[in-house]
Amino acid sequence: MIIDAHVRLGRGREVVLEPEALITSMDRLGIDKALVAPDERCIAVDDREGNDRVAAAAAASGGRLIPYAVANPWRGARAVDELRRARDAGARALCVDSVLQGFDLLDGLLDPLLEFARDAGWFVYVRTGTPPSALPLPLASLARRFPDVAFVMGRSGATDFWIDAAPALRYAGNLFGDTCYAPWDTVLAALAADPEIGASRLVFSTDSPYTVPEAELSRVTDWPITDTERAEVLGGVVGRLLG
Amino acid sequence: MIDFHTHTPSWRTSSWLGGVSFGADEFVGFMDVAGIERAVVLSHDGLFDPSPSTNDDLAAFVAEFPDRLLGFGTVHPRLEGAPEEVARMMGPLGLRGLKLHPWLQGFSMHEASLDPICEVLAAEGGMLLSHDGTPPYSTAGQIAALARRHPTLPVVLGHGGLHDTWREALTLVSETENLYLCICGTPPYAAREILAKAPPHKVLFGTDAGLSDRVSQDYAVARVREIEGWGITPEQKQAMLVDNPRALLDGAR
Ligand SMILES: [Zn+2]
Repeated sequence: MIIDAHVRLGRGREVVLEPEALITSMDRLGIDKALVAPDERCIAVDDREGNDRVAAAAAASGGRLIPYAVANPWRGARAVDELRRARDAGARALCVDSVLQGFDLLDGLLDPLLEFARDAGWFVYVRTGTPPSALPLPLASLARRFPDVAFVMGRSGATDFWIDAAPALRYAGNLFGDTCYAPWDTVLAALAADPEIGASRLVFSTDSPYTVPEAELSRVTDWPITDTERAEVLGGVVGRLLG
Repeated sequence: MIDFHTHTPSWRTSSWLGGVSFGADEFVGFMDVAGIERAVVLSHDGLFDPSPSTNDDLAAFVAEFPDRLLGFGTVHPRLEGAPEEVARMMGPLGLRGLKLHPWLQGFSMHEASLDPICEVLAAEGGMLLSHDGTPPYSTAGQIAALARRHPTLPVVLGHGGLHDTWREALTLVSETENLYLCICGTPPYAAREILAKAPPHKVLFGTDAGLSDRVSQDYAVARVREIEGWGITPEQKQAMLVDNPRALLDGAR
């Protein structure tokens, strides 16, 4: 079972991905399921529209697409209402991008959404990177404040904050790394070999449509690890996070 | 094709960047597998220990394959004798340019000590390649400000802004006559956008090879293969991989 842990569906500033194209790509690459988030505009401002569109795409996919919910945390209680609505329409996890949504992971705005995720049994994907993106270590501090919630460190701090990915994963046991963009022969091998981390703390994603999906899958299939470890990274871990 | 961003092993310093060590013959073996004809090889130890002997080591490495490898040495701009060392790099050592990594080396591009260094480099027909894409010391705006102070010196953004500042890199390359951009570690959608919008002669490509845990530099081979999926035109590919780096390297001296 191969599960792509993060894809954005719709039209971004420089990218576009419609559900039919995603399914075609998944068929070609042998990817069984994908977690799909709304596009950049919907993450930033039109969360309801985005949640409706990914819910519709998922409903039409025969179980292949699994929706993330988004809600701008500046909307406060209304954001939580929107997550509840999205959950009732099939959403299975929360997707957060603090750059697009305009807040600081540690300013408290996100907390009510994380409480909702905890109560709903959702995991939370948070996009990380180089400033101005969120950094791995503040995310680890946030994760420690919500020990019952699993967090995926989207992009694992790519590229120059890969240096912080391992310390973040060691600091928060409920934090999981993301394989996209990370070479197996530098970053991924170091994370998997770390006795406090290991392959069972890594999830595969293509981060479509920002990448070349076959190249993202190849970095995991080319990586010389055991079949058991590979199965964990490609779908086992995120399958458990989904519950 | 020409790979505009590779590294020697770190022979003398240990860092989180370090991969496995390799010889020049093994590196050329990797280049043959990846289809790379010539590579710009950047100083590695010198970023942590900017003593002239690290430039000697780099020069010895590239001298094993003078038709395939071009070395870019380094200095620390705050150290006495840095301009003289740049002259030695470009003269007796036969290196082709200067690599700076402002956040690793710990200085700002606005420091006046960089000016005599850039003057020597420009006079010797060299060029500067700087790490970019990482605040607080390695943003395209900062590097472009240095490039404007030295308009006859070609200056290359070594990473095209990486993931989070590539729009800044694209803007500054378009605004700054002597600024070039190497797509290296830049995500595919950003590479496609840069190739569509930057002045077509200014875009280069690099793999960042040399940091792998394996002599075979697997990530760099995979990166070259990935270009096929970027969705760029054959003309853009030819310019980025062949024509632009050749013109810049052959025009510089
Ligand atoms: Zn590099």
